[in-house]
Amino acid sequence: MSGGTPSAKTVVTMASPLCVLLLWHGLTAARVFPPEVLVSPQAVLAAFDSLIRTGELARHLGESLQRLLWGFGIGSGSGLLFGLAMALSVTFSRLFDPLFQALRQVPVLAFIPLLILVFGIDEVFKIVIIAKAAFFPTALSTLDGVRGVPKAWFEVARIYRTPLPALVWRVLIPATVPAVLSGVRLSLTRAWLVLVAAELIVADSGIGQMMEMGRQMFRLDVVMVGVIVAGVIGFALDRGFVLLQARMQRWRPPATGAAA
Amino acid sequence: MKAHALYGAAGRLALGLIVPLALFALWDHQARNGGANAFAFVSAAQVGRALRELLHSGDLALAYGSSLKNAFGGLFWGSLAGLLTGAAMALVRPVDWALTPIYHSFRQVPLLGWLPLIGLWFGSGDLSKLIVIGLSAFYPAVLYTYEGLKGVEARMLEVGQLYRLTAWQTFWTIRWPSALPSIFTGLLQSLAFAWIATIGVELLFPSGFGLGTVMQHGQLQARLDIVVVCIVVVGLTGFLINLLVSRLSRHALRWRAVRS
Repeated sequence: MSGGTPSAKTVVTMASPLCVLLLWHGLTAARVFPPEVLVSPQAVLAAFDSLIRTGELARHLGESLQRLLWGFGIGSGSGLLFGLAMALSVTFSRLFDPLFQALRQVPVLAFIPLLILVFGIDEVFKIVIIAKAAFFPTALSTLDGVRGVPKAWFEVARIYRTPLPALVWRVLIPATVPAVLSGVRLSLTRAWLVLVAAELIVADSGIGQMMEMGRQMFRLDVVMVGVIVAGVIGFALDRGFVLLQARMQRWRPPATGAAA
Repeated sequence: MKAHALYGAAGRLALGLIVPLALFALWDHQARNGGANAFAFVSAAQVGRALRELLHSGDLALAYGSSLKNAFGGLFWGSLAGLLTGAAMALVRPVDWALTPIYHSFRQVPLLGWLPLIGLWFGSGDLSKLIVIGLSAFYPAVLYTYEGLKGVEARMLEVGQLYRLTAWQTFWTIRWPSALPSIFTGLLQSLAFAWIATIGVELLFPSGFGLGTVMQHGQLQARLDIVVVCIVVVGLTGFLINLLVSRLSRHALRWRAVRS
């Protein structure tokens, strides 16, 4: 599979980010750009350090993550229920499908001005917009996942007169978990993206506000800390979810795990 | 049988209209009878008037054209750069090793999180917009080009070896055609992301003149009617874009043996 020698690969893989860092350092050390345009890595580290020591970063991050938790929880949870209802009840799906499909076409960000007018710029607005972002991927993947369960399984369950709770617990959940989880994962990524965007637009607190303030005060170092922290948190959320996903699917025999 | 199907289709349509119409009636009622927060609702007549006003003054056409220009400009440069980068990563191993860690670490930052930094570097004019929209189109283009070119079936390459094809012939007659479906999928994603990014960027950088800018102004003047008109236009455009690209890709790939 791996054609080249693994050592060469490791060397290049490790060296390339280091080269970027060195280039960055070299450019600032040689003052190719004025410091207002490109701050040195040391300055970014120093800003990071002072943001941590003053507790500012922790405060912003705490508020952002709390928002994320609420918005993502509400959006993804209701998306799960909605998707389930859509898949299980023909009437429900006929009632709500056109509205669902129409709303799905509108990018979440386009709802920001509307939601600001309706909910103001308080906490409610941010949680609603995050919930909206998290709702659709989960709802869609739940719908697809449940609809994808072979009809024969339901027939077998009917023959055995499986009661509904058992049907859900023993048949539906195991059969749909992989699809649903991949939707939830997408929901989490979207929620983080929209959270940062909402905080940039309505800047009163949170990691997005920290960056927006940094931009307005020409604090390039603070902005870069924000970019890096936003990236690291996004990465950690996604990684954490993948680990969770792997744990939750441990019971699956590898042979049937085609959609892993 | 046929009559039943017809009845079913009509019935389905009627059922699907119930919820949107009910919501619409509720909304309209709220707007006209002044509920708890009537300022947040506008009647259908007001939205209609706003649409006429925007159409008549030519603002809508102008904003729409400018948004489309931004979106397609970003899409063009972003997906071109993505195509070249992805191809280089797939075909030249050291490039793959060097760029993969950098690509993945940059991708972790939520797209709009780049805005403050790019705003500081390039101002809040058209160039910054082009860069962010381009970036949104760049990521999927790289990913799908890479996977498409990497995912060529080994037996096809073996046939190529048998015929003693040159590297260029191998690329042009084997790798490229078998990567096309994946590249089209990437393009579809790039297009969708570029449109979303366009709206986001225009909301956050209210310079210039686009749909996002018009929405932002509508929000500042508490003109919900204008905001609603823009949301509908944005949603319809997203829908049409998706439709167009999926048709195009089906047309372009009609030679391919259909796999379920």
